[in-house]
Amino acid sequence: MNKPDNRPFAIRTYAPEVLREALKRMYLIRRFEEGAEDSYTRGLIHGTMHLSIGQEASAMATCIELSDDDKITSTHRGHGHCIAKGADVGRMFAEFFGKETGYCHGRGGSMHIADVKTGNLGANGIVGGGLPIAVGSALSAKRLGKSDVTICFFGDGANNEGAFHEALNMASVWKLPVIFVCENNGYGMSTSVARSTSVSHIADRAVAYSMPGVTVDGNDFSAVAEAVHTAIARARAGDGPSLVENLTYRWRGHSKSDRNRYRSKEEIEDWMTRDPIARFQSELIAHGVLDDHGANAIAAAAVAEMEAGIKFAKAGPAPSLAEVTRYVYAEV
Amino acid sequence: MPVEVILPKVDMDMTHGTVAVWHVAPGDAVTKGTPLFDIETDKAAMEVEAPASGRLHAVTARPGDKVAVGTVVALIYAEGEVVVELATVIAAAPASPDPRDKPAAVPLAALAPVQFAAPATQETNGLLRATPAARAAARQAGVMLADVDGTGPQGRIQREDVAAYADRQSAPAHMPDSPAVWSAQPGPLHVSHRKGSGVPLVLLHGFTADSQSWAPLEKALGSDRRLIRIDLPGHGRSPRRKLRSFADLARMMVEAFDEATKAYDEVHVLGHSLGGALALAVADIRARNVAGLSLIAPAGLGPEIDATALTGIIRATRAESLAPWLRCLTARPEGISDEYSRAAMKLRRDPALRTFQAEMAEVLFPDGVQAFDLRPALSRLQCQTTLIWGRSDHILPWRQALNVSGDFALHLLRDAGHVPQIECPDRVARIVLRGMVAASTG
Amino acid sequence: MSTRKSEMNAMIQDQGLRTLSYAEAIREAMAMAMEADPTVILMGEDIGVYGGAFQVTLDLVDRFGTDRVMDTPISELGGAGVAVGAALTGLKPIFEFQFSDFAMLAMEQIVNQAAKLRYMLGGEASVPVVFRMPSGSGTGAAAQHSQSIEAWFGHVPGLKVLQPSTPEDAKGMLLAALADPDPVMIFEHKLLYKMKGHVPEGSYLTPIGKALVRRTGTDITIVAGSIMLHRALEAAEKLTADGISAEVIDLRSIRPIDHETIRASVRKTGRLMVVYEGVKAFGVGAEISAMVAESDAFDFLDAPILRLGAADAPVPYNPDLERASVPQVDTILTAARRLARREV
Repeated sequence: MNKPDNRPFAIRTYAPEVLREALKRMYLIRRFEEGAEDSYTRGLIHGTMHLSIGQEASAMATCIELSDDDKITSTHRGHGHCIAKGADVGRMFAEFFGKETGYCHGRGGSMHIADVKTGNLGANGIVGGGLPIAVGSALSAKRLGKSDVTICFFGDGANNEGAFHEALNMASVWKLPVIFVCENNGYGMSTSVARSTSVSHIADRAVAYSMPGVTVDGNDFSAVAEAVHTAIARARAGDGPSLVENLTYRWRGHSKSDRNRYRSKEEIEDWMTRDPIARFQSELIAHGVLDDHGANAIAAAAVAEMEAGIKFAKAGPAPSLAEVTRYVYAEV
Repeated sequence: MPVEVILPKVDMDMTHGTVAVWHVAPGDAVTKGTPLFDIETDKAAMEVEAPASGRLHAVTARPGDKVAVGTVVALIYAEGEVVVELATVIAAAPASPDPRDKPAAVPLAALAPVQFAAPATQETNGLLRATPAARAAARQAGVMLADVDGTGPQGRIQREDVAAYADRQSAPAHMPDSPAVWSAQPGPLHVSHRKGSGVPLVLLHGFTADSQSWAPLEKALGSDRRLIRIDLPGHGRSPRRKLRSFADLARMMVEAFDEATKAYDEVHVLGHSLGGALALAVADIRARNVAGLSLIAPAGLGPEIDATALTGIIRATRAESLAPWLRCLTARPEGISDEYSRAAMKLRRDPALRTFQAEMAEVLFPDGVQAFDLRPALSRLQCQTTLIWGRSDHILPWRQALNVSGDFALHLLRDAGHVPQIECPDRVARIVLRGMVAASTG
Repeated sequence: MSTRKSEMNAMIQDQGLRTLSYAEAIREAMAMAMEADPTVILMGEDIGVYGGAFQVTLDLVDRFGTDRVMDTPISELGGAGVAVGAALTGLKPIFEFQFSDFAMLAMEQIVNQAAKLRYMLGGEASVPVVFRMPSGSGTGAAAQHSQSIEAWFGHVPGLKVLQPSTPEDAKGMLLAALADPDPVMIFEHKLLYKMKGHVPEGSYLTPIGKALVRRTGTDITIVAGSIMLHRALEAAEKLTADGISAEVIDLRSIRPIDHETIRASVRKTGRLMVVYEGVKAFGVGAEISAMVAESDAFDFLDAPILRLGAADAPVPYNPDLERASVPQVDTILTAARRLARREV
């Protein structure tokens, strides 16, 4: 009789180099967000930004087994998703700095950041905007006979939009290969889930649309990876959509104009002790995937990649003012 | 290396912030996260925390200073680190290019609003009512809009008004050296149409006038009446055609009438003075096509005519000499203003026109007598006919109407002279319209 | 001066060409596209066995099955969004709003997503979706089922907005919209669905962004589209009795708009009238008037520009009120006479 494998799901499911790369990308998300924040405070980035520091496990564990053919739709808090899906941080910084060399040629900025070539259909400035689009993407896969799945990231705030309900209903009616991943960080801007949402867990909404719904600790890499893995298998098998709710927390405010009046310092500090990167790194070390030296090397590599990215971004040219209407329509 | 303390951007549209107060003095020890100073922006006050632990030095922004976002306002040195002046630190740092470097200077053609060349306004166009097309035509022709009479709504000058004016202006240029002679011009009489509905009304103006003189009556007739105006030879825009007798003139008019009315089974004809005589002639010759006739002070019903006034009008070269004769035309001389006289003279300033009309007067009114008699024609008429005459007509006396036997109505207008269609257009219009109704029902 | 009747009718009568109704022409275009391209799908409410509220899809579900002729739930926002997402990832959906009025439930997906995705993503994405928009008054369906809101979308960069006035154009525009890589909205007037006209066999594309001079004239220019084109042509015919020669331009495309055809006509006639069914204020007529006033054609204007649009009210129910609320042949005729006779 084989001994039962009691190791965490991720450790027993993914190859060590895949896990190390995942940790590296989580570090990269954290360093990217900090670099963006620093650039913002120096006035190098205009507009606003929504940072995902504290939510790295949710982004990375959800995307760990996706290929470039699989699609994601993302949210206004989408930097982490973009990096988790494989984007280059240099071109992301370039976009934030409004450069022609940015992913969107300086037309999109933080809120519409996307590397379409890695299957990212775009961050979205409209809460709930990506939900029906993800369903449409899944419809394409089904109609075109592809095995691709679409991951639809959305926040807790979006679960009260009409688009959420219409999208989940249609995905279920048509049994489409889409996984709705709710990143529940507790607050839609300043309004808490408890004050805005009639169910205690957003995953409870799944029952209304005849699909599995599961709530997991979104700062636990393995828990997220397992829930999404199950949902992807169901989708690829043609059994339809699932709803996964990742409970997590954003360390920073909603955006750069947030004065943090709706949550306490204690609450923030408490969540910071549950740092998803530190947890995942300890787990990898505990199970021999990594040693301290390797961990330091990964962390340092992320810093170097971030710094190189900013350097690349700064050096890029600005878009030509004469091309303000370029990309409105297809060029013929 | 010390850690920079910068004035952070804390709001979307923030470019500067004011340091309100420092919570820590230079040289004090700080720990990461402790409040360093407060900043005030347009919208809010905010605490800035220490980015690192150490000792605060090189504070450059004092309370009240307005500082650009991103500016280093202090440095935090680790314990034991050598403190250097801020200026030295900055000078040693590599210059980082502004990532939002100014875009290359490109022509903004794609963005710039549509711009037009400033119109060459020779005239003070500001108060004139004119269409863009009329203004453009005036610029092109070098015409002062102020000289042009507008025939559009509220006197608006339209493209055709400018064209008409320019035509009149260019006419004398054909004979600059011999102003007192005229040469015969070929071509049909000038006809203008006003679009409208119903049986058309053909308008024949009097001697020395032109089709523009119908304007007050046209307005009084209402805007939906279809009108056909014919200019007499050597009047208005008609060519100067040689004529030896009234019969010549009548033939020309019938020719023009046939061409102008060929699209219609029947028309109503309105003539004034000499135009009245021609209207009678046309109705006599083209009886089938004329449903009704309105005659205002028609010529040809007797020998008498005020030849002095006629000659005076023809000979006048200045508004001052024209005005007294114009006043003879009306029962209310005070109605002829200086402006009116000047405008009338403007239409007559071509010497060739004056010479032509003088010769025409010699043919039609030799020795001051009407040398043609239309009383037989009037007696013969079968169509609905209305005569309108001012009781105070000094040019052609209304009693001439009594010389004729015939089935026509005679309307004598009190307080009207030789030009009732200008003096009291509403009354004349009412009578004409009644006549037209009677013609159509009869 | 032209005394021709409407071009289309003349052609039918003279040459005995094949005729289809406007709805049949649209259906033929959809069927041809679906046969030629497996990525074309139809989505909408009750477009399957019901055949669509106006019987435009009719029996297409029998020919192409429920996988390609998809009845959506009554979820305009979600449905439109699914079409956008599908278009983004390889399908070419034709999405039918049951009434164009219902598109207001889906403004987010049309305006924030479909129209902007290409730009927001720096040209890296394409949304080749076609929205079919049954629109217009005259059916007694009152305020929420009778609107003409095409001008709203004329204000949105990234969209293309078409208005076919004939069966021939209805087919050619739908095929052109499917061939276009960007989102296209086609406003189909409900009163035109049964109108018959010549429709060529086979595939052809009506160029997007090109107006068409349907009747040549010299005295005034009338720009109209959709059903207003037919009313304008009828009025123009009657104007010949008054000796007025009207040039009638079928606008066909609201975005992009064909500036040059309109300007060229105004340079000739000096008089411009724009007739449209949307509310007069801030409408298609405002854009065209301003465009002419900003252009070199300004110097050719010999009268103020006239706009004839819908009354400043929701579309009313009472049939006489409904008729009076939008331009009709007689209102066009009266206004055209005033314009031609220099009374405005």
